[in-house]
Amino acid sequence: MFSKDAIKLYVMGISLLALTAFVFFRENTTDWRDYQAEFRDLVTEKFGAERAEQIPSGVQQIWVKDLDRVDRCVTCHQAMEWKGLETAPNPYRTHPKGILEKHPLTAYGCTSCHGGQGFSTTLPDAHGNVEHWEEPVLGQEVSEAYLIKNSKALMEMNCNSCHRYDRQTTGMDYINTAKNLVEEKDCRACHTINGRGGIIGPDLTYEGDKPTEQFDYGRLTGRHAVFAWQVAHFQNPKMVSPDSIMPNFGLSSQDAQALALLVMSWKKEPIPASYISGVQLRDVPTPEEIAREKEMLEGDGAFFVQNKCFVCHSVSSLGVNSAAKIGPDLSDAVVDVQNRFGRTLDDFLMDPTGTMSVVLATQIPLTTEQRQQAIALLKVAYQRKLEQQIKNTSPSPTPAGK
Amino acid sequence: MATEEISRTKTNSFLGTLREKLALKPMWEKLTWTWKPETKREAGDAIVRNFILHWFPAKVSLESLSWGYSFWLGTISAVLFLILTITGGILMFLYVPSVERAYLSVKDLEFSTSYGWFLRGLHRISAHLMVAVVFLHMVRVFLTGAFKNGRKAVGQNRPLNWIVGVALLLITLLLSFTGYLLPWDQLAYWAITVGTNIASSAPVFGDPTRFILLGGTTIEQATLIRFYVLHCFLLPLATFGLVSYHMWRVRKDGGLACTEKRYEEAKKQEQPAIASKTYSLLGITGGSAVDVQNVMIDDEKDKVPSSPYLTVRLAVVTLATLLVSILLTLLVRAPLEEAANPAVTPNPAKAPWYFLWLQELVTITTFTVGGITINGALIGGIILPGVLVAAAVLWPYFDKSPVSSIGRWFPKERKWQNRVFVIIVAAILILTFIGTYMRGPFWEIYMPWQEWEQAPRRF
Repeated sequence: MFSKDAIKLYVMGISLLALTAFVFFRENTTDWRDYQAEFRDLVTEKFGAERAEQIPSGVQQIWVKDLDRVDRCVTCHQAMEWKGLETAPNPYRTHPKGILEKHPLTAYGCTSCHGGQGFSTTLPDAHGNVEHWEEPVLGQEVSEAYLIKNSKALMEMNCNSCHRYDRQTTGMDYINTAKNLVEEKDCRACHTINGRGGIIGPDLTYEGDKPTEQFDYGRLTGRHAVFAWQVAHFQNPKMVSPDSIMPNFGLSSQDAQALALLVMSWKKEPIPASYISGVQLRDVPTPEEIAREKEMLEGDGAFFVQNKCFVCHSVSSLGVNSAAKIGPDLSDAVVDVQNRFGRTLDDFLMDPTGTMSVVLATQIPLTTEQRQQAIALLKVAYQRKLEQQIKNTSPSPTPAGK
Repeated sequence: MATEEISRTKTNSFLGTLREKLALKPMWEKLTWTWKPETKREAGDAIVRNFILHWFPAKVSLESLSWGYSFWLGTISAVLFLILTITGGILMFLYVPSVERAYLSVKDLEFSTSYGWFLRGLHRISAHLMVAVVFLHMVRVFLTGAFKNGRKAVGQNRPLNWIVGVALLLITLLLSFTGYLLPWDQLAYWAITVGTNIASSAPVFGDPTRFILLGGTTIEQATLIRFYVLHCFLLPLATFGLVSYHMWRVRKDGGLACTEKRYEEAKKQEQPAIASKTYSLLGITGGSAVDVQNVMIDDEKDKVPSSPYLTVRLAVVTLATLLVSILLTLLVRAPLEEAANPAVTPNPAKAPWYFLWLQELVTITTFTVGGITINGALIGGIILPGVLVAAAVLWPYFDKSPVSSIGRWFPKERKWQNRVFVIIVAAILILTFIGTYMRGPFWEIYMPWQEWEQAPRRF
C-alpha cells in the first residue's frame, strides 16, 4: 500500500511540476512580447542597436486620470511618437502627427478616440470585437462590415464626445454633415436635443446611452447591432418600427450613417469640462458688470480704471467705484493726503511712502507723465466733489450724483 | 568482508566516517530527503510532535484510509479551502472593493498583473469545486449513515458533527455567493440581484434580511463592502473555526464511522460470560458479567502508523486536488462580462449555478390560477429549501436504523431513507442542470444543442 501511494505521490508531484512549468510558459510567452521583440529588430535595422536598447520593455500604458482610462495599446504600438516610422507596418507605425498636437497622448490616451479595450494586452480583446465589450476599435474591420467608404469616419463618433457642442469641427466630415442635416431637416421640431426642441418624438440628448437590448431588431436583416438599427431607421423609420410617425427623409446611406454616428455619440459621459470643446472655464461677468465697467472706462475717471487704481480706490466724484474699497476714496485726495502724510499730493505721488510706495514700485509702475496726469485728474476730482457738495446742501433735496 | 571494512573505518577520523556513510547510501537517497521511522514509537512521535499533523491519531485503521469508503471528500474540501485562502490572500492585495475600481482591478488582474489571470482562475475554480465537493461529502456521509452514534463511547456525538457539517455547507455557499459579487460585472450584479430577491420573499424577515445583507435597498457600494468583509474575513474565520471543530469532533467520535464495524465484529467474537458464575462484588454490583468493558478489541489489529501511511495519502490527495484545480484553471477561462449596470438586465438573468435549482423551483412553483399569479419565491425559494435544511439537521435524531448499518455503503437496513435522499439529491442536480444549461432568453427551455438568439451589440 505504501509503495503504491509513494508512486502516486511521485506521479502527482511530477505532473504538478510540469503544470507549473506550463503556467510559467504561458505567462511568459504572450503575444505582446513577440511584438516588442519584432519592434526592437525593426529599430535595430533602421536606427541601430543603440536606439533599440532605449525601447522600454514590459507592459506599457498611458494612464489618463481625468478620463479614467488606462490604455495599454502602447505595449504593442510602441512607435506612436517616433520619427521615421511613418510608413512602417502596424503595429510599428508612427501616429499621424497633426492630430496629436492638439490631442497629446498623455491627455487623451488611445481608446478615447479609437475605441477598443485599453486594459487588454491581447490582440482580440484589445481590439474589442469580443463578447462583453461594446467599444471595438473603430477602424477598418467595422467600416468594412458596414461598407463605410472612409474607414476613419466611425472614429468621429468618439471625437464628438468632446466636440458635441461645436457647430462644425475641422476634420469631422461625417459628423459635420449630420449636424447640418439636424438643422436642415429641423429634427428639433419633434425631438429635444441638448435641452432644446419639441416633444413629439423621444428626447435624443442621451440617445447613445440607450442599451443594446432596448432596440427591436425583429425587422432588421443582417447584424443585430445598434448602429445597423440606427442606419436602417434613418433610411426608413417605418421599416424597423412600424408604429413610428417619423417621416422618411429619403436620406442617402452615407447621410444615414453620418446621422447614426451622431446620435450614437450623444452619451452622458463623465468628461471633465476642460475637455469639452467650446466650454469656457472662467468667471463670465454679468451684463450689468460689463456695462458698469464700460461706463467707467468712458467717463472722466477712465485713467484710474485703465491703470487698475480702482481695484483699491474709488474716485466717486469721477464716477469710479471700487468693488473692494480697500483704500480711501480719492475724490478728496488733495486734502486727504495733506492730512495723512503732511505732504502735498504732488509731492506724495512723485515720491510715495508706505503701501503706495510698494504698489507703485511693483504692481502699477506709472511714468512721471502718468503721475502728473493722475495729480491733475485728482485735482479735478476734488473740484467736482466740492461742486457736488454745494449742490447737495442747496434747498432742493435731490439725491447725490444726479 | 564489507563489515570488516566498515569497522576499520570507524576508528578513522569523523570526516572519514561521514564520507564512508555517504558512500554507502544509494545515490537516490542522497538526492532526496527521505525519512522512515525505525520503530513504531518513532512513527507515533512523528505525528504527535508535529504541529500540523497532531490532529491525526498516531495509528490509524486501514479502512479509514481506503479510497473507496470516504473518497477523501472532507480532506479535499479542506485542501480547496487552503488553496482558496492562499490565492484569496494574494488577491486581496490586488483587488479594490469600491464600485468605481472593483471592475477595473479585476480587468487588471486578467490583463496586466503577473499571473493575475492564474490567481483569479484558480481561486474561482477552487471555489466552485469546493461547493461541489462539500455537497458530495455530505451525500457520502448520509449514504453511509456516518452521522450515527455507534458504540457507547464517552463523548461520542456524531449527530452534532453532522449539524456542524450542514452549517459548513451553508457557509461554503455563502462564501461563494459573497465572492460572486466582487468582480462587479453584469454576471455578478444580476446573480446577486436574483439571489437576494429570492431571500426577500420570506415572510416578515425577508425584506429586513435583504436590507441588512445589501446595506440598503439596492446593490451599491454598501453591498460591495459588506460582501467583501464577509467574504474575506468573517466567513473564512467561521469556516476555519468550524472546520477545526469538525476535525476535532471526528477524533472525539472515535474516528470515521467505518471503524464502527470493528466493534460489531469484536462483539460477535466475544465469549459470553458464564451464566452460572456470579461476579457480584460483595453484593455492590449486580448482574452476571463484568461490565467494565463490554467489548474487548485488539486496538493494534489492522492498524498502521499514521506516518507514513496517512501522511503519504494526505500528500497524494493534496497534490491531486491542486493538480485538478490548476488543470481546470487552464482549461476554463474565468468569465468577466461588462461592468455592472443596474439599468440593463441581462436576458436571462441567472443566480449562481448552485442556487439555480432554487431559481428553477421558484419557476415551477409560480403558476397562474384564474388570473391570479402565485409567486413561487416563497414556496420554492424559502419554504422548500428551509424544510430541506431543517430535515437535514434533524434527520440523525429520527434515524432509527440499527448500529450495524453505520459506516457501510448501501446497507439494506437504511435502504428506504437512502432512496428518499438520493431522489432529493437527484432532483436538485437535475434542476441545477436545467437552470444552468437549458434556460435561455426569457427563461425559455433551450436544449443544450439549440442556439440562443444572437445577443445584440453596438456595432
